[in-house]
Amino acid sequence: MRPRTLLRIAKWEVTKNAGGVDRRTLAVMALALVAMGAVAAVAVSGGGGAGMDAGIYRIGVDDDSPYRDVAADDPTFAVREPDPAAVERHEQELLYRGTRLRSVPRTAKERAALAELRSSTEGYNDRTMAGDDNRTAAFPVSVTLVYAQQNGSSALDPRSGSDGDGSADGGSGADGSGGNSGSGDGSAAGGSGGSSTSGGTGEAAGGSGADLGALGARLTGEVQGGTPSDISPPFPFESLVLAFLYVVPMNFVIQAYGSSMLSERLNRRGELLLVTPASRGDIIGGKTLPYLLGAVGVTALITAALRFGGVAPSGSYIAVLAVVPLVVLFLAATFCGAMFARSFKELTFVTVTVTVTLTSYAFVPAIFTDVTPIALISPLTLVVMDLTGRAIPLSSLVFSTTPPLLTGLVLFGLGAGLYREEDLFTQRPIPLKVLDALAGRITSRRSALKMSVFLLPLVVVAELAAVAFLFVLDSVSLNVFGTNQSLGVVLALGVIVVIEEVAKSLHVYAGYEHARYERTLRSALAVGALSGLGFFVAEKGLLIARLSNLETLPIGEAALQGTVLPAGLPLWVAGLLFLFPLALHAVTAAISSVGASRGWRAYLGGLGLAVVVHFAYNLAVVSTLV
Amino acid sequence: MSDDRPLWRDPRLVVARRDVRSLSREKTIVLALLIQLFVAAFSSFLVVGLTSLYDPSSVSAGEVELAVTGDAREELEAAAARQERASVTVFESESAAQRAFERREVDAVLRGDYVPSAEGPGRRIGVTATVPEGSIRSTLIVVEVRRVLSALERQERVERTVHLDEPPVPLPRSVSASQYFGFTYTILIPLLLFLPAFISGSVVVDTVTEEIERGTLELLRVAPVSLLDIVDGKALGMVLLAPVQALLWVALLSANGIAVSNLAAITLFVTAVAVVVVTLGVVLGITLQRRRPAQLLYSVLTLVVFGGAVLLPEHPATTVAKLAVDSPTLVTYGHVAGTVAVAVAGYALARVYVDRVAAEAL
Repeated sequence: MRPRTLLRIAKWEVTKNAGGVDRRTLAVMALALVAMGAVAAVAVSGGGGAGMDAGIYRIGVDDDSPYRDVAADDPTFAVREPDPAAVERHEQELLYRGTRLRSVPRTAKERAALAELRSSTEGYNDRTMAGDDNRTAAFPVSVTLVYAQQNGSSALDPRSGSDGDGSADGGSGADGSGGNSGSGDGSAAGGSGGSSTSGGTGEAAGGSGADLGALGARLTGEVQGGTPSDISPPFPFESLVLAFLYVVPMNFVIQAYGSSMLSERLNRRGELLLVTPASRGDIIGGKTLPYLLGAVGVTALITAALRFGGVAPSGSYIAVLAVVPLVVLFLAATFCGAMFARSFKELTFVTVTVTVTLTSYAFVPAIFTDVTPIALISPLTLVVMDLTGRAIPLSSLVFSTTPPLLTGLVLFGLGAGLYREEDLFTQRPIPLKVLDALAGRITSRRSALKMSVFLLPLVVVAELAAVAFLFVLDSVSLNVFGTNQSLGVVLALGVIVVIEEVAKSLHVYAGYEHARYERTLRSALAVGALSGLGFFVAEKGLLIARLSNLETLPIGEAALQGTVLPAGLPLWVAGLLFLFPLALHAVTAAISSVGASRGWRAYLGGLGLAVVVHFAYNLAVVSTLV
Repeated sequence: MSDDRPLWRDPRLVVARRDVRSLSREKTIVLALLIQLFVAAFSSFLVVGLTSLYDPSSVSAGEVELAVTGDAREELEAAAARQERASVTVFESESAAQRAFERREVDAVLRGDYVPSAEGPGRRIGVTATVPEGSIRSTLIVVEVRRVLSALERQERVERTVHLDEPPVPLPRSVSASQYFGFTYTILIPLLLFLPAFISGSVVVDTVTEEIERGTLELLRVAPVSLLDIVDGKALGMVLLAPVQALLWVALLSANGIAVSNLAAITLFVTAVAVVVVTLGVVLGITLQRRRPAQLLYSVLTLVVFGGAVLLPEHPATTVAKLAVDSPTLVTYGHVAGTVAVAVAGYALARVYVDRVAAEAL
């Protein structure tokens, strides 16, 4: 790769598209953006007041009923004159005379309307009371909310649950559940919290450092002498807003990027560049660089605007740095999509898929601002932390940004495998293109080992995302089953097993389809075992690399690794536990590899069997170790 | 145009069929449906996940154990006793309650004391609520604490009614109602019904610019069809896809027990919206001729138009919601009619424009 060639291609990419038609486009776009800003301003200032749910319930209520004002204040209700016949015709959901409900709510809509009326009455009471002279009688209760640490373990604490979830895959001392939950902060707070509650108060975890204007203050959950309705659970509203602020521009960038990459493949245009002395890496790098810089530039602008606009005065370069892996991931996924797609239409769908998937990857973990290890799965959490002025440990930075960054590079690597004359201008369905991309990197049997290592970042990101998604489910199932958390754990296990088995065997299947391996039983077993070995080694290497920040991420870490050894075991048991996963990965990979050598139906069968075996093993480990 | 041709050989229909067939051949339409399903699942996940976090009643949460202590413990106990999901233990001494909290025997400690108030005669109940920090569970606990304290507030207000200018409005009785009723009709259904239209518009940009960029438009022009026919056909194919998908979603929702009313009006409305965005897509595609600028402008303009619709008396999403939930008003029907008028007029204008474009220049 030569920087000069790369830069020249990057320059072409910019200049080719800035002249002529595009200047006009830019002007229209600027106008459109201004219009969008104006619309937003008008909407915020209350011009288009009504909400999305305006008028979906109709309430018949007479003039002297106190509920008339309540309903009139809430746009969700359309106020009508009470008319029993209209209720019969399902044209009014509720019928009030005085304070008495005269209709019987039967349908789902009528019941929902009554529940809505109940909550609007609460709000209405608070508003009228606020105008009362005697504020002591109007607000007879004042509340101070204090967050404090607890010691010991609780069966209901989801942290012990997710811990079990973690040990699921091999067991990181499931016993420690309660005390273990965030070993770092547990010990520290144990000291201070032991003496008195106020000592253990600490910062409310719900982003109390937030300084996003009134928004932040309202949402911290710390109330000093407020009323009960001032209490709000620590809701990560700012992450929600920021997530959209930072992610939305990326969608426009990848749209342009995808178009540019795909148009190289139309009418063999890309051939011109391919025959120049520029290497594949130069071409791809050069064509990507402007978009990368553009996206990062926009991020920097947003951060600067937030900082100097006074919204988030502590925003710094770290916020920009944290977004870089996301940008790389977006671009890499789009690049692969553009290499796979047959037409613009297909590219549109691929782009939308990329957008939706990656947005949820960035967004869902960031919801759990309270549960830092989960939140850190998404780099957006770093952005939120930086903007709200919280310190970011280096280990968090590394943990949060490395997997997406590596995944982005792996995707670029896969797509680059297709950036050559024989693949660039051929039209094949997307699944076959994926196999092409994988097979492009296979040369001999040993490639199976290499590929398993190569694909590991993808596996890690997918598993982390799965853990974040299932984390909600875990807490929900926790409530459904009381103390029994098996559903969340089992689901997490299942998803992780499927991801790992697919990652170990898909490239093997691609190798067979492209006749890179012999279709014999011996060869299949050898390839499978090598793939399993590669996966095992990669998993270990990753573990060692992450030991440094293990304490910051008990949940995410534990759920991923089947390889952390419980402390205090005799040496031979530890040795066995160390070797078992190796055997497991080799055996399951061999099973699916044998299947892969006999066509796609057999591959699916083998894969299914491998998943079942792996799953059974994990479940057995969980039930014996927990 | 000669009339001896059977209807199904009408060039516009042929072009429409060709486009739709290429979609199904690439299986992109499957991908499109999957995306929509994923978006719906994602938004449901967020809402269901979040409401279940913030509203314990929506899931059968385990009970929250509250310790109450302090002078006002009887009042607190009475307020908490009415809450189904809270169970209360009264502690005489505050330190015993704290110890129980630290040992995780209780989830939260409420210490209520009578405190003098600066803002009026009489005394307030000052409550210090201690809740565990940093887990999903603590969110549930905070919500429950808030519920108990709101009940306490209501109870105290009623007792002090004589001191108030106006008595508080009594709360309607609570019923078991679906937490997601409002979300389903105001967010989920509009989302599912509008997404196909927007995707159709985007695909029209693609098919138009792709024919131009690949140079296949020239081939089409050799056939006895005008540019207008081609554009008509492409628009027709994509416009029809939107209501078909919308009906599919409605059928799916009905199978899940979510009734959607006023189906005819909804279908008409969705079709009209699809015509509007497809017209936008066609014009952008023909004018800019290249996918990148056309697609970019399409997404920005669609966002602006859809966001700008806030200025209307009723947002299109609300129109769909009101139709679906069967609370339509005259305004709602007015919006449907208005959108149809805009769609027809817009497409007519677009045809005039396309007719004047010199096809040879493309």
